[in-house]
Amino acid sequence: MAAGVAAWLPFARAAAIGWMPVATRPMPVPPREKKKSQDQGLLVLNVSGQKFQTWSNTLERYPDTLLGSTERDFFFHEETNEYFFDRDPDIFRHILNFYRTGKLHYPRQECIAAYDEELSFFGIIPEIIGDCCYEEYKDRRRENQERLQDDEDDEKEDVAPLNMTFREYMWRAFENPHTSTTALVLYYVTGFFIAISVMANVVETVPCGTLPNRAKEISCGDRYALAFFCLDTACVMIFTVEYLLRLIAAPSRYNFMKSVMSIIDVVAIMPYYIGLVMTDNDQVSGAFVTLRVFRVFRIFKFSRHSAGLRILGYTLKSCASELGFLLFSLTMAIIIFATVMFYAEKGSTSSKFTSIPAAFWYTIVTMTTLGYGDMVPKTIVGKIFGSICSLSGVLVIALPVPVIVSNFSRIYHQSQRAEKRRAQKKTRIAKIRASKSRGTNAYMHYKQYNGHFLTHSSLEEACKEAGQLLVGKPNIPFESHHHHLLHCLEKTTNHEFIDEQTFETNCMEVTMVNKSGSRTSSMSGSSSPHGLSSCCSRRHRRKSFSLPNSNNQELSTIQIRERPIVNSRSSLNAKPDFETVPLKSGHSYVTSSVVTLPPAASSLLTSSDNGGSSSSTCNYSQSNIVRVSAL
Amino acid sequence: MDSQAKRVETISARLDAAGSSTDSVEDELELSAVRHRPEGLEQLEALTRFNRKELQILYRGFKNECPSGVVNEDTFKDIYSQFFPQGDASKYAHFLFNAFDTNKDGSVSFEDFVMGLSILLRGSVQEKLNWAFNLYDINKDGYITKEEMLDIMKAIYDMMGKCTYPLVKDDTPRQHVELFFQKMDKNKDGVVTIDEFIDCCQNDENIMRSMQLFENVI
Repeated sequence: MAAGVAAWLPFARAAAIGWMPVATRPMPVPPREKKKSQDQGLLVLNVSGQKFQTWSNTLERYPDTLLGSTERDFFFHEETNEYFFDRDPDIFRHILNFYRTGKLHYPRQECIAAYDEELSFFGIIPEIIGDCCYEEYKDRRRENQERLQDDEDDEKEDVAPLNMTFREYMWRAFENPHTSTTALVLYYVTGFFIAISVMANVVETVPCGTLPNRAKEISCGDRYALAFFCLDTACVMIFTVEYLLRLIAAPSRYNFMKSVMSIIDVVAIMPYYIGLVMTDNDQVSGAFVTLRVFRVFRIFKFSRHSAGLRILGYTLKSCASELGFLLFSLTMAIIIFATVMFYAEKGSTSSKFTSIPAAFWYTIVTMTTLGYGDMVPKTIVGKIFGSICSLSGVLVIALPVPVIVSNFSRIYHQSQRAEKRRAQKKTRIAKIRASKSRGTNAYMHYKQYNGHFLTHSSLEEACKEAGQLLVGKPNIPFESHHHHLLHCLEKTTNHEFIDEQTFETNCMEVTMVNKSGSRTSSMSGSSSPHGLSSCCSRRHRRKSFSLPNSNNQELSTIQIRERPIVNSRSSLNAKPDFETVPLKSGHSYVTSSVVTLPPAASSLLTSSDNGGSSSSTCNYSQSNIVRVSAL
Repeated sequence: MDSQAKRVETISARLDAAGSSTDSVEDELELSAVRHRPEGLEQLEALTRFNRKELQILYRGFKNECPSGVVNEDTFKDIYSQFFPQGDASKYAHFLFNAFDTNKDGSVSFEDFVMGLSILLRGSVQEKLNWAFNLYDINKDGYITKEEMLDIMKAIYDMMGKCTYPLVKDDTPRQHVELFFQKMDKNKDGVVTIDEFIDCCQNDENIMRSMQLFENVI
């Protein structure tokens, strides 16, 4: 259990008096207070010479971090009676503030890698960073990782793996021209031929002088038809060969064929082949001429050579909806003005405004302030509306376009960030819940491993006999008091807390075997804790035999309840609108920051003298494996 | 005494006095910060049974969670729920809040908090039982009816959550209430008065012993 409510534990315990008159069973003995001299004292934390002081209670609010647990004793310096850390004092300031206020902030001027290192040293999970700073932190982290990834990729590119098949080698040559000389040559050759092909397409339409026996000028393409045909053929052959080679070399041919570049390649070379097939058919020659238009798509092949073109294409694609909206609003304005102009000019003779669609052309030319002058209004009303049209054109087009462009880029990034934040939140909450779950599970551990009826003194004796360290006992007074409080609640209501795994088992067993219900109720009625612990263990044993595989499947989701957000602990409370978050495995709560009750606790049991329940101890280790919070 | 000590500054009031006529809701919401400073240490020492050091520790913890100096019900519920992660502690927290909020102004100040704690931790058994009776008597009419007790019982069982052994059935709270009334309601008139309650508890050894349990909490 994290959070800074340690200070309110006395209140919660005092409020437990409200349960006393209702309880039917006697309450458990509270844990013995071990009055340590440092209990309410100031601690000095010397971080590379800069001294910080705080109450020991402040640090103990978060017992699963370095400073809040006994791990800090490793850093205690006897001569100066302070805790010395050889770390960065500037970043430590933020870490200490986390203990004080419950909120972890990320300072923008710090390097993200250094900050991460400090956090991991002090055992604080970054997901606890407050909302005010979390976005910045995640952005910086992502940039850093991308940079690292790019560096890695560059390195990988430069260092050719030793055993590459010829296919992989070809693909690498095609995708990264600077890897080898052959690739570079290929790159330049294809670029050259693309340029040649495009220029040929352009030049063949230029009028090239007249033939001696004709009056009309003909284009170069018709004059030197054979030359252009040969050039076209050569280019198309090169493009075809290149396309086929790419197709062969591609690691995933299906993906390659779906990609935009390959479609462009195909569209660039298809007209030629279609033209070859259909030369002699007069009826489709019109269509054939149209197909030649598609040859201009060869220019898009340049986008393989230019990263800028690719980025532009991607930007347009991503702003498609915004551009569509712009188009729609323009269309509305055009229709309005065209209609007005048409009806205004209807009366005038020899008016070019023959219909509303004809007026569209006038409207567009006027609104974009082109003003060709091929259509002009002649009536006064027409001129008035014409001028309104051109003025509004300036407003409608010139002003919003930059605003829209920047707005949409901002909105686009914002929505991306919102998506990111939503995706991040789920994993964040899951991680925080997982580390919080240690609290509940700590209580389960405490219950099962130490038994209800032993006082601490006798347990200590038992363990000393066993010669083991008392690992399972919570050695932080806050936790032991909290466990006692939960224990009191159990006694009041005559029911026990169990973890979700056992609960699921119980549910299944209740449906399967009805008589177990009566047996367990009779057992719970008995005051002998032997019965209880052995009954629990029997459950575990049964579980371990009959349900070997269902552990992870049953526990694949945790429920997050709605809770109101409190400012002081907003980073640790669930946000209200989440239902379930999938957890990958039961181990996920064991994070690097957690000073866990180590599995050595199970070794404690094999030799502990829990009053005769030794037969059941071996099974606790199995039940230790998968623990999921029931939150 | 509370009203003397309380100096509630609402900055929105100051704004109104300054003559700003704009009615922006945002300003009001942002700036009407309620702050509360408690009585001096000596006065609290006199009022409660804590000594200086204990009051200092209590106040530091209190102020840390509630920098404004008062706890409202939502904060209260939230803090209390942190101790019972498996179940839903909000209903019981609501009843607790009403028990602490003696002047019924919707917020628990440090004085309320520390006086309640003083009764619970340092009071005589009579006072503690009185406090418990006050907690159960939801409408503060001097009688605990079965409905009130049922509400309280359900709230307590809610704190256990659903993963309990044995399973909490729907009528478990009701059965518990019946048990309680059988024990407490001496004249079988369907309500428990304060005298019946105190009498009965004083005769019950378990309850007397458990009342002493939390003496050393601070």
